[in-house]
Amino acid sequence: MAGTELEILKGITLEIKSGESVAIIGASGSGKSTLLGLLAGLDEATAGSVEIDGTDLGALDEDDRARFRGQHIGFVFQSFQLLPALTALENVMLPLELQGQNSVQEQALHYLRRVGLDARTNHYPLQLSGGEQQRVALARAFASKPAILFADEPTGNLDTVTGEHIIDLLFELNREEGTTLVLVTHDQVLADRCQRRLRLDGGALVQE
Amino acid sequence: MSMTATKMLARDWRGGELGVLVMALVLAVGVVSGISAFTTRLQNALEQESHRFLAADLVVTSGRELPADWLLEGEGEGLQQALTLQFPSMVYVRDDTMALASIKAVSEAYPLRGEMTYSREPFGAVLSAEEGPGRGEVWLDSRLFALLDVAVGDEVTIGEANFVVAAAARTEPDQGSSFYGYGPRVVMHYGDIPATGVVQPGSRVEYRQLYAGAAPAIATFSKWLEPQLQEGQRALTVEEGQPGIGNALDRAESFLLLAGSLAVVLAGVAVALAARRFSERHHDYVAIIKSLGATSSTVNRLYGSSLLLLGLVATVLGCLLGWGIQGLFFSLFAEQLPVQPGPSGIRPYAIGAVTSLTCLFCFAWPPLRRLGHASPLRVLRRDLPMENRQAIYDYIVGLLAVTLLMWWYSQDWKLTLAVLAGLALTVGLGFCLALTLLRGGRLVGMSAGSIWRLALAGLQRRGKANALQVVIFAMAIMMLLVLLLVRTSLIDEWQAQLPSDAPNHFMINIGPENVQAIEQLLRAENITSEPFYPMIRGRIMSVRGEELPSTDDVQEGRRQREINFTWSDTLPNENRLLAGQWWEPGTDEALVSLEEEFAERMGLEVGDSVGFLVGSEPLEARVASIRQLQWQSMRPNFFLVFPPRLLADYPATFMTSFHLDEGNKAFLNRFVRRFPTVTVIEMDIVVEQIRTIINQVSAAINLVLVVILAAGGLVLVAGVQASVDARVHESAILRALGAPRRLILGGLLIEFATLGLFAGFLATVAAELSVFILQTLVMEMDYTPTPWLWPVGILSGAFVIGALGVFSCRRVVSTPPVTVLREL
Repeated sequence: MAGTELEILKGITLEIKSGESVAIIGASGSGKSTLLGLLAGLDEATAGSVEIDGTDLGALDEDDRARFRGQHIGFVFQSFQLLPALTALENVMLPLELQGQNSVQEQALHYLRRVGLDARTNHYPLQLSGGEQQRVALARAFASKPAILFADEPTGNLDTVTGEHIIDLLFELNREEGTTLVLVTHDQVLADRCQRRLRLDGGALVQE
Repeated sequence: MSMTATKMLARDWRGGELGVLVMALVLAVGVVSGISAFTTRLQNALEQESHRFLAADLVVTSGRELPADWLLEGEGEGLQQALTLQFPSMVYVRDDTMALASIKAVSEAYPLRGEMTYSREPFGAVLSAEEGPGRGEVWLDSRLFALLDVAVGDEVTIGEANFVVAAAARTEPDQGSSFYGYGPRVVMHYGDIPATGVVQPGSRVEYRQLYAGAAPAIATFSKWLEPQLQEGQRALTVEEGQPGIGNALDRAESFLLLAGSLAVVLAGVAVALAARRFSERHHDYVAIIKSLGATSSTVNRLYGSSLLLLGLVATVLGCLLGWGIQGLFFSLFAEQLPVQPGPSGIRPYAIGAVTSLTCLFCFAWPPLRRLGHASPLRVLRRDLPMENRQAIYDYIVGLLAVTLLMWWYSQDWKLTLAVLAGLALTVGLGFCLALTLLRGGRLVGMSAGSIWRLALAGLQRRGKANALQVVIFAMAIMMLLVLLLVRTSLIDEWQAQLPSDAPNHFMINIGPENVQAIEQLLRAENITSEPFYPMIRGRIMSVRGEELPSTDDVQEGRRQREINFTWSDTLPNENRLLAGQWWEPGTDEALVSLEEEFAERMGLEVGDSVGFLVGSEPLEARVASIRQLQWQSMRPNFFLVFPPRLLADYPATFMTSFHLDEGNKAFLNRFVRRFPTVTVIEMDIVVEQIRTIINQVSAAINLVLVVILAAGGLVLVAGVQASVDARVHESAILRALGAPRRLILGGLLIEFATLGLFAGFLATVAAELSVFILQTLVMEMDYTPTPWLWPVGILSGAFVIGALGVFSCRRVVSTPPVTVLREL
């Protein structure tokens, strides 16, 4: 990029304990998504380091980070990010297949039942409602039994009632699986359900 | 994982770019393998056809009787055989009328290749013969009926035997193109020779043994025969076929190879464009699966296997298409081909498959390979720019691949270079011109109405992408124009060479005293003829003072040989000077003008001295010029031309050629009766055959043009598609803001038509350059500029691209904008 360099995140030091649920809140453009991208190993920091379970993400190349994500990290996105070519079941099976696991169908079906979609396993994303798509995304995220789950505005594309159902489901699953949860949102109500809240303001961290 | 790949393919089919990719591949494979199979089979057929001019696959000839055990050896190899014997002899009727004739005695199996023709009356309807005359029968040349005043059923005498005239002899496959035999033909049975008693030791005769069979057997036999040959015995190989057909087919082949090469380039570009768009649309998918833990090698495996699967399907379909194309070509030809074309073998389809793999690997794979590097961060940030840095590397790989493919396919550097030069000009000029013109466009557009402002702003905003698009459109249009131009000039030239009133009869041995009378007769009968050329027979003896070998063993190359020449003060019609100068009329210098290939064979250049023997007089001359002839023009043509004064004292006869309609053949009977010493040679059958074949080749060429047009159309579609997403998105926003349908479609039309206009202009410039190189260097034709190309090229560019663009973006006005915005 031409022009002056932008510093998006400034002097953030942050530790998240295993099993903890943390909300990152802040206005649009405050750097929430950038921080999430760095924490989840989707992006590389120009300075500083991110360490998960003793692994320094900055020391890995993109392919190693991809393997690391596959084994330790789950995602739920605002825009669901399901592969439209695959059925609900296949979407849930995908990360397991990528890990090279066997009998993935059983596991995938288990999580689809858990999110209440056992009747719709062979539907394509376009045939599902927004809430149903996000439930498939939840099943996909938990199916690979990640240590940490990153959720980026998980209710941003949903109406209030559906959003609440999804959040209930998310926290239920989180409890059952004992996953660490990092949630990015600008919704204060949602943030309040987390054990800890971090506020980002102009790229800097403000403790709540 | 493979399940996922197939699933993705099935879904992506709907996106459109895979359809273009597969169709481009199928077309490339189809055209390349089809054309290759067609030319291979045509060459096979022509090779067999050329055997027809020997009446066999292998001929041994000698002035003395040939050993009979050679026939046994040939039989052992499973070869068919026949014998002929040729000698000059007098033919008598009732002891008072006689004529010198060239007798040819043939055995029952003759001819082994090709066929003999006869007619029931002189110059009558031509019929093909299963075998020659029976024992005790002869066939006479049409002219002999008049000379001897006989009719079918009469008796004639040769030596000590009498024969019944059974028919008029018309053609034999191996009668040769030389007009200068011993006289009119008489065909008889080989078994009747002893009865005539005319063939004695020392007689001037030519014995021939003819062999035919499978190629390997012929090769074995030929190898065995070689060391057995004594002095005076010669094995004849296939010499060049009829020059008229050969030349036309050579150029047709050049054209077809050019078309095939262009098909490869066009298909390559279409594949590259489709793959690029496919890859752009897949960045988001890849980001998702990468966020789920897929490494770049997993991604590459996924897309690589999809591509391979597509390639296999496209290759199989393409080979089927190619098989259909060559089948279609041959169905056009079937009636006219003298022999059935053999199978083409597997090679053409292998060429097609290699083309497909190369296209996939060099055009489709590079953009897909970059998918592996797509950033997973796109799952969070859709606005992230795509990886595009290695695009220039892709272009280089693509260019290299295209060059090699074109060369491998055409085996012709000049042809490859001609196309590359056009392409390079398009690309180089294209980017400069497009960027400059598009920048200028905004200055004009600022003050124009709102449709124009919208369109020109669009052009300006995507300046670089538009320049690329202009270049791609220009490349496609250029290649189509090149093909159209070459096709048109080729067909025009053929038609001009053999117009429907082209000469189809030759007249030779015209005594100087008859020239005027014959000219008058032809005029009176309304028959147009070429000028009368004097003809003198002589022998070339020495070159640059060095005596040439007098052996008869070498057919080609430098040796003493009998040759016909003429004299003229002016350069004969249809001749072109290649070197030296034409002499001043009336010169008395000892000069000579040579035909190009003759000069080459003798190793002669302008300024060299050549020695001749004319009659018994030696004659020394200096080479003044070298000429190129149109052998297929059916006009009198001579290897050597002298200034008139030099030959004035030598005895000469005259020759000419003229056109005679089929319904007017009876004229020949009257003519031969009145001028019995003049020899008339009928070429009408051959001319008709050449014309028919040329018509068929023209049809094949037009067919190829249509196929290539389809390939060019695909490139245009792929090129338009490449920018549709961005344009539809912008238009949807405008639509949401309340812009009327007319404004949006009008803006798009102007935008695309402007691109098309630039592309058409570039294409026309580059096409002229390419065609110039192709015609002068590859096809050896005369280059003529084509003014009509400019409006056609430029306007059709604007029209076609404008229409395609609007058509591709039409859904933006037919679907609610919110749907469009949500999809993208």
